[in-house]
Amino acid sequence: MIRAEGLSRIYGRGSVEVRALDGVDVEIRKGEFVGVMGASGSGKSTLLHLLGLLDRPTAGTLVIAGTDVTALSERERTLFRLNRLGYVFQDYALVPELTAEENIYLPSKVRGMTAKECTLACRDILALVGLKERYNFLPGEMSGGEQQRVAIARALVNNPALLLADEPCANLDSRNSVLILDLIRKLNRELAQTVVMVSHEDWHRKYFDRVIYLQDGKIVADPGGNGPGSTG
Amino acid sequence: MLEEEQVALFLASRLIARGNKGTLALTIMIIAMVFVNLIFLPSIIAGVVVLFNQQTIDYSYANLVIEPKEGALLIAKPGTLVEKINRIPGVAASTPRYAAGATIVYKGKSTTPLVIAVDPDREPEVMKVHTGIISGDYLSGSDTGQILIGTTLAGDREQKVERTPTLGGVDVGKTVEVTFRNGVTKEFRVKGILKTGTSLIDNNAYISRRDLAGVLGVEDPANQILVRTQETGNENAMRLLLMQYGVQEQIWTWQDKSADFLKSIVGSFDIINLISTVVSLVIAVVVIFIVIFISIVYRRKQIGILQAIGIDRRIIIKSYIFQAIFICACGTVAGCTLLLAVLQYLAVNPLVFPGGPVAPLLEAGLVIRSIASLFIVALIAGFVPSWLTTREEILAAIRG
Repeated sequence: MIRAEGLSRIYGRGSVEVRALDGVDVEIRKGEFVGVMGASGSGKSTLLHLLGLLDRPTAGTLVIAGTDVTALSERERTLFRLNRLGYVFQDYALVPELTAEENIYLPSKVRGMTAKECTLACRDILALVGLKERYNFLPGEMSGGEQQRVAIARALVNNPALLLADEPCANLDSRNSVLILDLIRKLNRELAQTVVMVSHEDWHRKYFDRVIYLQDGKIVADPGGNGPGSTG
Repeated sequence: MLEEEQVALFLASRLIARGNKGTLALTIMIIAMVFVNLIFLPSIIAGVVVLFNQQTIDYSYANLVIEPKEGALLIAKPGTLVEKINRIPGVAASTPRYAAGATIVYKGKSTTPLVIAVDPDREPEVMKVHTGIISGDYLSGSDTGQILIGTTLAGDREQKVERTPTLGGVDVGKTVEVTFRNGVTKEFRVKGILKTGTSLIDNNAYISRRDLAGVLGVEDPANQILVRTQETGNENAMRLLLMQYGVQEQIWTWQDKSADFLKSIVGSFDIINLISTVVSLVIAVVVIFIVIFISIVYRRKQIGILQAIGIDRRIIIKSYIFQAIFICACGTVAGCTLLLAVLQYLAVNPLVFPGGPVAPLLEAGLVIRSIASLFIVALIAGFVPSWLTTREEILAAIRG
């Protein structure tokens, strides 16, 4: 599903050069639920940004679902994000002026579905995340947990090959965090959805099939992976 | 409609409908003000120009002015020519005049205004000088030894400093002494005081041509025939028609006669108008741009998120352009309403200029140009900031 080789992201130049990600080799298989963990500044968010095509690597190759995404044009990257990736942000990142259903509707509509197909898809996905009755609520009218579930629904509406979640529970209390993690786990199990999730909470580990540990931009442990630090 | 535009419109409509109503109302109000600013002063100036043109026609030259053949001082057989002209299709009426300088003396004060000899019976059919009587009466056909004095010429007894020479405050019923260019002096009784608001006219004196005939010793003296046409605006065509009907005297349109004066006045107004329009447009550009720019910058993070979830930047840009156009359209409608209210108010309480009350003239061309300018500005103001924001790194936009 994902193959990264020598993936680097360097900010600045010369004396102010920061190697946020330093030659990372990683392979993630289809259907895996992978956690990316590490201390603050270890490079976990940078890795997720590169996997989510929100940023470009300074060096290395990155193949997602058979596509070398480093070679894509800006427009192709946008289309790839729309069709193949689902991204869940830490702070939900919903459009506040759109209802839950409309937030989900937007990417499906852009993808070219008819209004009726979009509405059906939105209702189905909202039912899946347990928010069927709240389709007409604006983000401001929902709790943090509910907003994050809408964000997950939005990320999933186009049946992405890969779901990326950047600390989705960071702004939630423990009860809602469990709800979100259970949901992502359920989606991973029932839909065979490949998931890469960044977290710094130790207790999240139990949800992951595999955990990649990063430190100073390098993988220091990857039990179950094939690269450096792997034991599998 | 294309898919992209549909999505952009969907996004724009929701952002407008569920965005901050106060900000939206304020933005629309600002654009409405800018729209009024773009139109109001030019329409006042247009109104002044129309007033000035109308006064030139009504008080100075009518539509056409016929003057003696080149080299001649007088028009031959003006009475016959007037009858002939009046039969020409498109001519409403015509009247002969004799205009010449003379010296008028009253209580030791003298001045040399233009004294115009008119046919009191014919004159009101062509000119509106008679409507300007503020004291006394207009001349009648049987009058002899009677004179009308313009209010500026008549002067004011209380006025210590005079901008132009006056008679120092002559009233109706008083006698003035007029010395014509041939040296003949004659006493006239002031029958009326005129006030037209046109400084040139209010500095003139009017007598009957019958009196002047006696003074000059010429029967039926006329060095002008003023022609009122049925329609204003076709003066050049009417001049040709008069020539085709055998009028051999020199024929001028009112625009020809007032050319230099008119050009300088209208030219000055055009400069004011141009400056005002340019300043208004610059204000419009800056205000609309800033308002929409701030609104987009405020949503910078949102734009980044939309890009992050795979919404093409063209859709995002179009949605902001649609929003800008919508805001501009509402602003224009509000501006039109505001402008109509102002015009309605000015219709009841007109602006009074020296020439008379001025009604703002709303020219369709000006309104269309202003609307077009605003929409172009809105397009730019919607496009540029959203284009700049979507060109940013997605992460930079998301981080705000």
